[in-house]
Order: sequence, then structure tokens, then C-alpha cells
Amino acid sequence: MSIAFQCAVGLIIALSLFGLPIGHAMIAGSILYLLVAGQDLSIAAEQLLNGMYTNYVILAVPLFILAAELMNIGSMTERLLKFCDALVGRFRGGLAQVNIVQSVIFAGMSGSAIADAAGTGRMMQAMMTKDGKYPPAFAAALTAASSVIGPIIPPSIPMVLYALVSDASIGFLFLGGVIPGLLLGLSQMGIVAATARRRNFPVEAPVPVRALPGITWRALPVILMPVVLLGGIYGGATTPTEAAAVAAAYALAISVILYRSVSFPDFYRSLAYSARTTASIGMLIAGALVFNYVVTIENIPNALRVLLTSWDLSPLTFLIIVNVLLLVLGCLLEGTTILLIIVPVLIPTAKALGIDMVHFGVVVVINIMLGLITPPYGLLLFIMKQIAEVPLRDLVRETLPFLWAMIGALALITYFPSLVLWLPRLLGYQG
Amino acid sequence: QAKPNLRFSAVFSEQDIRADMVKRFAEAIKNDFTLQPYYGGTLFRQGTELVAMQRNNLEMGNIAPQDISNQIPAWSIVTSAYLFKDADHLKRVFASDVGRDLKKMAEEKLNIRILGPTYFGARQVGLKPKTRITTPADMAGIKLRMPGGDAWQFLGRSLGANPTPMAYGEVYTGLQSGAVDGQDNPLPNVQNMKFYEVMSQIVLTSHLVGFDLLCITNRAWNAMNAQQQAAFQRAADAAIDWSTAEHVKREGELVDFFKKQGLDVYTPNLAAFREHAQKMYLASDLAKSWVPGMLEKINAL
Amino acid sequence: MLAALFLAFLIQIAFRYLFNLPIGWTHEISVILWLWLVLWGAAFVLTEREEIRFDLLHAAVGRRVRRVMGVATALAVVVLYGTALPAMVDYVSFMKVERTAYMKLPFSWVYAIYIVFAVAAIIRYLWLGFAALRGDEPGDDDPTKIGSGI
Ligand code: NA
Ligand code: NA
Repeated sequence: MSIAFQCAVGLIIALSLFGLPIGHAMIAGSILYLLVAGQDLSIAAEQLLNGMYTNYVILAVPLFILAAELMNIGSMTERLLKFCDALVGRFRGGLAQVNIVQSVIFAGMSGSAIADAAGTGRMMQAMMTKDGKYPPAFAAALTAASSVIGPIIPPSIPMVLYALVSDASIGFLFLGGVIPGLLLGLSQMGIVAATARRRNFPVEAPVPVRALPGITWRALPVILMPVVLLGGIYGGATTPTEAAAVAAAYALAISVILYRSVSFPDFYRSLAYSARTTASIGMLIAGALVFNYVVTIENIPNALRVLLTSWDLSPLTFLIIVNVLLLVLGCLLEGTTILLIIVPVLIPTAKALGIDMVHFGVVVVINIMLGLITPPYGLLLFIMKQIAEVPLRDLVRETLPFLWAMIGALALITYFPSLVLWLPRLLGYQG
Repeated sequence: QAKPNLRFSAVFSEQDIRADMVKRFAEAIKNDFTLQPYYGGTLFRQGTELVAMQRNNLEMGNIAPQDISNQIPAWSIVTSAYLFKDADHLKRVFASDVGRDLKKMAEEKLNIRILGPTYFGARQVGLKPKTRITTPADMAGIKLRMPGGDAWQFLGRSLGANPTPMAYGEVYTGLQSGAVDGQDNPLPNVQNMKFYEVMSQIVLTSHLVGFDLLCITNRAWNAMNAQQQAAFQRAADAAIDWSTAEHVKREGELVDFFKKQGLDVYTPNLAAFREHAQKMYLASDLAKSWVPGMLEKINAL
Repeated sequence: MLAALFLAFLIQIAFRYLFNLPIGWTHEISVILWLWLVLWGAAFVLTEREEIRFDLLHAAVGRRVRRVMGVATALAVVVLYGTALPAMVDYVSFMKVERTAYMKLPFSWVYAIYIVFAVAAIIRYLWLGFAALRGDEPGDDDPTKIGSGI
């Protein structure tokens, strides 16, 4: 590692700790690297511009954000909740199960956990805590935990970002997330079922059977959305990037035409919000692209690969180390930062060990999503704390059982690659 | 005194035959230079290496002729269908007067010196439907996946097909679902990407001889004395010849391999394809920028 | 303007899907809009609070320390971006030799947004640096409004 590289990393860490947006910190650090190494300073602009220009897949990111926003402002989520209630409300801890099932279905339309928590989370929180049915901290913890499933079941923004750094196929990554996502949902439902009797969770009034067809019919366009999306991708009609546009168009069409629930100001606000979020992710991607040049020219990923392969790790040991590393980093860093900065350094080693890139991607994304609910830096925890107005300590305590259950599920997914790869292989994946 | 460092960037992966070519080349020049290779387009992205060399941020690269023709339209002749007959013809042309003229244009306008063409296989049409292909007329209505961009789409039309742009990574599923009927790639790619599993036949059209250009910046080249330059060129020639021979050998093996996999592999009426394609290219806007007489000279070689 | 840009971007892709328009130029417009949306947005629309930051330490320290941090980060951005600016301008104007694949726009135009972004960042951090010196502070973080959307 050269002096220039050490200067750059030092500056990036210092500036980030001092509160500079991470995108700017990485650009500034990279410029310092070029300066000290005596290279052309314009390489920073070259890498940023060409990187943003040639990566067609990133276009999916803003479109998935917009799609999720549009679903939240429409009454789509309300109808979805009614449907889930009819489905699982009658069991003990029914509303808690509704929360999870809703997240699983929502996951099939949205690529973002934040969108789930911030959108339906508010509604779920109100429903679950009405008349003191559930402790507020438990409701908030459950919403945070169930939102994690959003980007694991396709579509998925973090998987698009992973595809960007790994060159794995987005289509197969998406497919690989289906079973692990369902598995995480089941692990949460297990926790709820196991504690429901002990904590005396209420049962919802069972929805009469004859009301079922009506409720299903009203929610049908929403439930069909995941089918339309995935069918489009795997039937060969749309690329995953186009599917993002279709998702947004579909959500808009249903909310406006079928449910007549979106006003123009609402739509404008969603657009503006999505544009802002896009710009802030985009800045992080921009910074990562520039810093990636520094990491590459310094041969860091290769050096790490040589070092790690010389330790003669088995693929499983490596994956376990990655799991631990990412879970720890997830306590400190923001998910997109980890995906764009840390993961690219690990990929050459994973490849050299013969780990499948789709399996690795799904494991990495689950880790990063779990990072959203691990204290102290869990974005989902912050959001639910804000929404539920509960102390962070109670929230963390209620989250832990779910976190442990999901770590258990992650262990299974890490150990049995076929849990990830079975579905992609069924549809022609060659890994 | 420290040996000069030559940064080299290429799109092919470290497992590619051409990476071995680079290793051989690096070995041959190691007394005078340290070659610092970056594979897989990780340092400079595909298509951006040329500008990086022009700005001296990269000393050596494996540049696509399409990238050169972006800046020098006259170069588009070497990206046209049925220009080069095979790897040997490609080598002869670049060693001839025509090659000298082309290299000189690059030296003057782009600040790069071309060491030689690196062959990586002829593009062949692979199809899912079983229709027998003899002439371009048989290709009518076939949805042939071609890379995006005007030039590639035109290449598809010059074969008589109905070109459809699609990302490379999506071709396998595209063939499987029937979104496209076929693809055109060199045989090693067909094997790497397992396209043969979802195709019934390979038509050996050899419509485009695939090659890139091993280049060095004028600045790095001019820093050498005449003796060093000659040794450098010799090392490049030897490495390129080795790589070309390996690719030709590999293509021969793959024809047998695909036949064993149950695919129909045959050569169509190449004269009919050649005539159709060259006529279309000559009638197009592209040909307006070509150096008069160059096509005839190349055909005659 | 930002919303319009976004809408255009969406419509382009939707059109391609619905009416099977040629893939190339709509794709090109989308990519250019994405590039401009991010750099324009980062230059003029995003507030400090909306950008993705590591705020554990920043939120934990006292006002005086935070002011020092503000001045230091602003100084780093202004000095480094400023030093690099002439090289950036040189690169962007050099890119006139290349044109986009479909609309044949010179890349120097497409990439000019970087210069706008860099100049805006320098001015913004000059301003933020002075504000920190004077002791002004932006408001509190609202976690529901930040984040990267994953
Ligand atoms: Na939920
Ligand atoms: Na999802």
C-alpha cells in the first residue's frame, strides 16, 4: 500500500467521521490520492462520468424508489392489509402475522425496506397498538424486522447495486432471493407464534368466509403486481431495468385509474421525493466509482485475494468470515456504502474460492439488510423509533429475538447454497 | 534506475487466452519494462481505454477497432462485414501498405502506436430454429440478437436478419424464452456462455473477424531508442502470433465439441453472404468515409 | 425541474416497453438524464441533511467540536475540488472528440454537468465553512428523510 493510498483512506475516514456526506468524502480522498501519486487529477471526473454513463442497470434504482413511493401514496397498501387480515388475522397474534405477510407481499413489488417501514409501517403501528393490543415497542420491532424482507424478495435495489459491482445477472439474483426471503418471513412468523400465547397476544375477529372473495377481488391488482413483474422478467418481455419502469407505471395506473386515490400534488411529491433519494444514492455511487479506481490501481482486491487464498480457507469459512464482518460493519456503516465499497474488495476472493456469485450476492444482501436493524446504526430502528415514539432501548430489546431468528435463517442460507440457487437453476442459471 | 511502468488495461478476463498472451509479452519485455496489467475492464471501462491512452493515463491497451472508428471514421472499414477472410488475412492486411496507412492515421490523430491486431475468433451465427440457412435470403425474419448501437444493428441487417439489441448477459434466457431466435458471437463465447444448450445449429458465416488492437501511447513509444522499439515490436508480434494460433486451434476444437453436443454445424454459401454484405456496406453512409480503393486492395490481398 | 426530468426518464422507458420504439436513443436519453439528475440534484437540490452520511460521531460531540469539524470538512472540499478543477475542465473539453452512439452529442456537452457540480460544491462548502465559523448550525437529523432507500 502506497503512501498516497494511506493518505486517501485516512482523509476519507476523517471527513466521514466529521460528518461530510460520504460521496463527497470519497471524491475528495481520491483527488488527494491522485495528487500525492502524481497522476492526472482529471481521472476523478473521468471515472465518475464514464462509470455513471456506462452502467445501464443503475437506472433501475430511481425507478424502484418511485414505484414504492407510488404504492404508499395510493390506497394499495390499505387493501393489501385487509387481505392479509382475512388470511392470517384469525390466529393468535393475528395482527403480528398480518404485519409479516403484508411485508412479504409488499416485498414482491418494492425494492426498498425503508419504503415498507416508512409507508405501511405507520399504518401497521397504529393498527397494532390501538386499544393497547400489542406493546408499542414490540409492534415497532416487528415492523422493522419484517421490512427487512423487502429487498431480499425481488425486486431489490441492493441486488441491483450488487450486480453493478459483481457483474452477476440481475435476473438470476432476483430469483435467488425468493426462497431466502420466504425463509426469513417464516422464521419471524415462528417467533411470533412461539411467543403469542406466552405474551397473550390477541386474536382478530375472523373474517367471514363469504367476505373473502370480495376482499381478495379488491386487493387482486395489488397481489397480482409481483406476478406481473416477475412474469415480465422471466417470460422475456422486459429486462429487470425495464421491469422497474413497469412497476412504477403499474402502481401509478392502479392508484389513479382503479382506486382514484392519487391527486396530482401527491404524485408530484412522490416524484420530488424519489428524485431527491435518487440524487443522494447517486452521489454515493459516484463517490464509490471514483474511489474504486484508487482501490484498483493499488491492486487491493487482488492483494487481499492472494492473502486470503494463502490461508487456505474453505469457501464456507470464508462465507462465515464475510457474514461476521458484514454484520459488524452493518452496526456502523450504511448499507449502500458497504455494498459499494467493502463488497467489491471481497468479490475476487469469493470468485477464486469458487463461490457462486449469485449465492454470494444473496448472502451479502441479507447481511446488509440485517444491518438495518442492528444497533447502534440501524436505519430501520431509527425510522421505527420516530414513528412509534418508543425508547430506542425497548425497541432494540424487542428486535433481538427476530434478529437472532433471522441470523439463524442466514446461517442455513449460507450453508446450503441450493436454497438460493435452486430456483435460478430451474430457470436456466448456469452456476 | 527503476524500470518504467506500463499500465495495461483490457476488457477480457484473467482466464482468457489473451491474458496469457499479455503474460508472455510481459515476460519478453521484463528487462526493460514492468507491465502492470488490469483485466476485466476494472481500471478503465470498456470503450474508455482509448481516451485514457490519449491523455496518457494509460500506457498500453487492447483497443477495439470500433472505438478507433468513433474518432477516425475512415477506420470503420475494418469493422464492416466480410472484409477479412480469416485470421491470416487479417495479419497480412495489417502488415501491408493498407495496414501502414491505417496505423499512421491512428498515430497522427490519436497519439497511439498500433503494435498489431489481436484475433479473438470469427463471429458465427447460432440459431434456435432448425431452418437451413444457405443464403442471406434464408435469414429473413430471423430475430438475431446483436449488440446495441447503430453499427452492430447494421451488421445484423447486412446478414439479411432482423437485428434485435439485447444485453449480452440476457442472451441465454432470451434464446430460451424465444425473445430472440439467434445470436452472433465467436465460438469461444458460445461455449463460455453455454448458448449452445439453447440452440439447434451453428451457421459458420464467419461474417466478422473479431480482433482488437494492441496499442502503446506515442509518449511511451518515443521514449524508447530504435533498438528497444524493435525488440518491443518483436515481443508483441511473437505474443500476438501465439495467441492467434491458440484461438484458431480452439475454434477447430469447438466445432467438434458443438457437433458432439448434437448441434448442426455447417458452412453456408459464403460467396452469396459476402456479396450481399459488401453491397449493403458500400451503399451505406459508412462507406463514404472510407479511403477510396482501400476495400479493393484488402479484397485483393 | 427535477421532477420533470424524472418524469421524462420514466416516460422514455415506458414508451420503449409499450410501443416497442427503438431501444437505442431512449436508452441514451435515460442515461444522460440519470447522470444530470444526480449531479444537478447534488449540486442544487439536496440539503446537507439529505445526503448519506456517517453521523454517529457528528451527533455525539458538542457544538464547539462540531463547528471545528464543519470548518475542516469545508476546507478539505474547497481546497481539493478547487485544485482539481482545471484538470476536470481539461478532461471535459477533451471529450469533444467522442460522440454519443445514437444522438451523436459531443461528450463534452454531456459531461459538462460535472463542472457545474464541482463549482457548486466549492461554493456550497465555502458558504458552509463560513457558517460554521460564525457558529450557525443546520437543524436536527430526521432519519425518515435520509438514507439510501434500500
Ligand atoms: Na411489515
Ligand atoms: Na423486493
